[in-house]
Amino acid sequence: MAEFVPVSRADALEEGAVKAFDVLGNRVAVANIAGTFHAFDDTCTHLQCSLAEGDLEDATVICPCHGSEFDVRSGEVLQGPARAPVETYETRIEGGSLEVRG
Amino acid sequence: MPETFVIVGASLAGGSAAVTLRQEGFEGGVILIGAEPQPPYERPPLSKEYLRSESSFEEALVQAPDFYGEYGIETRFGVRATRVDDADKAVELDGGERLLYDKLLVATGGSNRRVPIPGIGLEGIYGLRTVVDSERIRAEIAPGRKAVVVGMGFIGSEVAASLRQSGVEVTVVDRNTVPLRRVLGEEIGRVIEGIHRDHGTQLILKDTVAAFEGVSRVERVTTARGRRIECDFAVVGLGVEPATELLAGTGVEIDNGIVVDEYCRTGVEGIYAAGDVANHYHPVFGRHIRIEHWQNALKQGPAAARNMLGEGGPYEEIPWFWSDQYEHNLQYAGFHTEWDELVVRGSLEERSFVAFYRKDGRVLAAVALNRGRDLRRSVPLIKAQERVEAAMLRDPDIDLRTLAGVQKTHR
Repeated sequence: MAEFVPVSRADALEEGAVKAFDVLGNRVAVANIAGTFHAFDDTCTHLQCSLAEGDLEDATVICPCHGSEFDVRSGEVLQGPARAPVETYETRIEGGSLEVRG
Repeated sequence: MPETFVIVGASLAGGSAAVTLRQEGFEGGVILIGAEPQPPYERPPLSKEYLRSESSFEEALVQAPDFYGEYGIETRFGVRATRVDDADKAVELDGGERLLYDKLLVATGGSNRRVPIPGIGLEGIYGLRTVVDSERIRAEIAPGRKAVVVGMGFIGSEVAASLRQSGVEVTVVDRNTVPLRRVLGEEIGRVIEGIHRDHGTQLILKDTVAAFEGVSRVERVTTARGRRIECDFAVVGLGVEPATELLAGTGVEIDNGIVVDEYCRTGVEGIYAAGDVANHYHPVFGRHIRIEHWQNALKQGPAAARNMLGEGGPYEEIPWFWSDQYEHNLQYAGFHTEWDELVVRGSLEERSFVAFYRKDGRVLAAVALNRGRDLRRSVPLIKAQERVEAAMLRDPDIDLRTLAGVQKTHR
């Protein structure tokens, strides 16, 4: 059963920011969209670049290498060259700590 | 009587245009004609992941093969369109068939420039344009084999990198002082040269191929300056010519491709062009430009389709492309042919930078190595075509996104 893993203090990830964390051996990116945390695989499904190194525009994360765009809430591809969506994960705040369900 | 739109060229631009016509609700006939037997596919992997056997052909398809039938798009793959009769509004196909159109989109792309080098007809010498070309080169790849790559433009540079990464011994021959000089200039080209040298590629620069020699297969390459390079195979990447033959004899103006306005329209009513073949009037740059890259095919094809439906607008995407070589990610945005200053943010030596091609204080284009985020942040700046101080471009503490639109009064 997948468990929640603390990755950061919640207030360390400001609005509009995206950052990658290790979650049980996976690189998972977390984006703060207007105070809500969205977690998704950090690894682009196209050629494995780190999505957290790209920019966030509203709820869209843009791969810094080849421009693929994903909706961070659903993981779906909004713009290629990527074809496959990224996995998304549940998040929660526990006592000021940001947790991701691995 | 419902209208029929014919698209010649079943690649990324043409295929995406056909998809767009249906997505926009067009209910007339759509006929997609392509000289290659495969459904539309994307070409970037052909010199990289696909060449290195790291990705499949299916991953490169624009749509699944059955998509076209499901969406009522009639396809003629593996059939060459030979001629357009603009008076009768008809396209003639190899084999004699004649298709009438109400509107026609030409997205025929380009063909590799043929150079009359002695011995170029020998076996084992390849160009790279199609998936079949890529597979032929792929079949030659084995660790320890020797290859000569002729021409260090983007295709040559990417092929050289992929071959090295696959264990092939690579020698490249280019007439310029550095790779990619024509597009990126001397300074950036030198960085690319260093990357190739560090990976063990032999570079012969400021030299040209005099002949390919061998009995039936290529065995060696000789150069104008007297070098002899033994090889098992060779790849030639000496540029592309727009495939405009189809329109010979029509009223469509041909000048470095098919001349179209900002709406992708030719001067002949009902005929449009998009993708590598189109020399398009770009409103941002105030001139015609022809782009041979993925993003232009992906976006300009659909833009032309919307204009065929009368519901589009001017196409004004800022040209953008990437070129992955070894572990490095190079990206370029904008359009420049000349510049008076190259302003660098980051470090050429460390191979981590974005550099701006500036003319009269305006940023015409930017190139980045391993700094994709900065490249992307530069696009609004290029689009704005405003004067920006070099010091601000250089300063790593200034977010590039804040620089567009701040100096409007200086225009």
